[in-house]
Amino acid sequence: MTGYFLRRLLLIIPTFIGITLIVFLVMHFVPGGPIERQIMRYKMAAMTEGGATGGTAGLGTEIPPEALEELKRFYGFDKPVHIRYITWLWNVMRLDLGTSYVYQDPVWDVIKSRFPISIFIGLTGFLLSYLVCVPLGVLKAVHHGSKFDFLSSFIVFLGYSIPGWALGTALLVLFGGGSFWDVFPLGGFRPTNWEFLGFFQKISAQIQHMFLPVLCYMIGSFATLTILMKNSLMENLGQDYVRTAFAKGLDEHRVIFKHALRNSLIPIATGLGHVFSLILAGSFLIEKVFNIDGMGYLGYTSILQRDYPVALGILVISSLLMLIGNILSDVIYVMVDPRIRFR
Amino acid sequence: MKQEEVLPIEETIGATAIAPPLPPRRSISVFRKRVRKFKTLKRGYYSFLIVAVSYAFSFILPILINNEALLLRYNGQYYFPISTFYPASEFGMDAIGEPNYRELKEQLAARNSGDWVLMPMHPYSATESLLDLPGTPPHAPSNEHPLGTDDRGRDVLARLAYGFNVSLTFAIIVLLLAESVGVFVGALLGYFGGKLDMLGQRFIEIWSSLPFLYTIIIISSIVVPIYIPGRNLVLQPSFWLLIVILAVFEWVGITYYVRGEFYREKARDYVGAAIAMGQSDTKIMFKHILPNSLTPVISFAPFTIVANIGALVALDFLGFGLPAPTPSWGELIGQGMENLTKWWLVFFPLAALFLTLLLIVFIGEAVREAFDPKEYSRLR
Repeated sequence: MTGYFLRRLLLIIPTFIGITLIVFLVMHFVPGGPIERQIMRYKMAAMTEGGATGGTAGLGTEIPPEALEELKRFYGFDKPVHIRYITWLWNVMRLDLGTSYVYQDPVWDVIKSRFPISIFIGLTGFLLSYLVCVPLGVLKAVHHGSKFDFLSSFIVFLGYSIPGWALGTALLVLFGGGSFWDVFPLGGFRPTNWEFLGFFQKISAQIQHMFLPVLCYMIGSFATLTILMKNSLMENLGQDYVRTAFAKGLDEHRVIFKHALRNSLIPIATGLGHVFSLILAGSFLIEKVFNIDGMGYLGYTSILQRDYPVALGILVISSLLMLIGNILSDVIYVMVDPRIRFR
Repeated sequence: MKQEEVLPIEETIGATAIAPPLPPRRSISVFRKRVRKFKTLKRGYYSFLIVAVSYAFSFILPILINNEALLLRYNGQYYFPISTFYPASEFGMDAIGEPNYRELKEQLAARNSGDWVLMPMHPYSATESLLDLPGTPPHAPSNEHPLGTDDRGRDVLARLAYGFNVSLTFAIIVLLLAESVGVFVGALLGYFGGKLDMLGQRFIEIWSSLPFLYTIIIISSIVVPIYIPGRNLVLQPSFWLLIVILAVFEWVGITYYVRGEFYREKARDYVGAAIAMGQSDTKIMFKHILPNSLTPVISFAPFTIVANIGALVALDFLGFGLPAPTPSWGELIGQGMENLTKWWLVFFPLAALFLTLLLIVFIGEAVREAFDPKEYSRLR
């Protein structure tokens, strides 16, 4: 078994190289990269200048070749793509993610500054969704076919049929103080006067700011997690060992919660391996809707601004977390279910 | 996974060489049975009917919601503006290009000369900016425009209706493209196994780990069109490019399941028999095994459509979706985010999106139950 997991760990390396190589190549070959942006900026500047002096020096302005060379050297585009990739990979291995084009800070510092926000929302959403979905799934399984099951299924379907970010836009229109109720702020992680608030004010302000985004986060996993829990418990309740437990006269409560529930938590537990990537990566769509400066939104803006070092840095972190999470899930699987053997 | 297989045993035994061949009494195929089961699941079946009928109707939208007249009588002659272009001068209007048929209708009615214009039910097009409305767009819902207009003064009802067709067409084409590639690759990996399978698995792991929406945004944020040298071809974000990009990322999903099915089916006796009879690999794969391995493909399809519509709406919302005048739900929601007080720009497209997805999820649930039944026995 140890051999299996060692092999899995080693396989992270080629997969990681594959992922980063593909994204690196896409970024390299898609037009509109940092150099073109600089050229555009230069031309725009020349145009406004030309307009001011009354001349017609505008779009025709060419960048002097030396300046272009300089630009290319600055962004590292003077070398062929494979050399650039290898240099980048070598730097990543030495834990150096490079410098952001936009912020002019080390990429790691830029990303690190977003961690608290992402972890806060991610962890809250994660814990709350497990706290809601697992009991709900159990109740639905135990009362399968009842009115409660039917009604909650309806809510589950509603949750599944609307993307979290889209729900967010509706909630903002409803509660953001536009034309209906003014209950929640329009977005942002914390109010601007955060430092001057007292302890309890801080708590209430934080809840007010985070209520809608966290709700939207939860909607995403609400349906799948609840149904997974319900189906898993239902499956176990149909097993022979449950029949045996009933046959030997145990009361229903004991059978369900002591025998069946433990086994049906296995598929839920294996999902825990991905907790880190879920918490950190977040959803850039929700962060964009609510104007929250988390990791996801940073990744999105870095792509828009062609801040490739930051975009690649986020890719490194999120893909490593995901690959390790995959293995972690399997480890948990083996730990909670002794029947499973990996070879 | 259990599969009910009812073999027509009586027939094969009963039919001897001497007796005249019995008229072929076909047993009901497994597929038929599943379809029958699907029809008994009312919620899913009715959802399917609603979606299918609305989708069919969305193809004749030009005669339901449009700003071109269906039929018109002018000076005793009949015209069909819906299929032919007439310049405004044809009808004595001093405008350049296409006449405003709504205006023409009023003019002719006022003239009272027996000429008339037959307009569609909702006489506004999805791409026409209504600049003559009082005030500045977006206009709030009114009798004329029950769902209001967007920030360029285009009728929201028309845009939603056409957007339904665009979204569903988009989702279905992506699904077909992605699933055919995914099934093909999954079949190859599962059937041949060995080194090919190992390499393919690695590749698939890499491919499925790519951050899907990020990469799409990188690619479709091509502001500059690519000019392919030597040809007049220009590659820029368009309906078809977006379809290909989405399909390129989506085909992996189904591969796992098809590969698994092929692995399982490969060990069955009928495959051994086919090999013994000297059938070619392609024939065994696609004629014998494939029909038995389509369960995951079919039962995942509705959920894939849901995911595709979701992805398209998200991309349109961010501004990286379909090119500009295409009617789209996501674009309307995006406009609503910029004008938070214009609630009709958010609520109506969201309602359309939500209803559509809900119906398709109902279909998916029923399809899954019909194709992949899991019976839960309970002891009480």
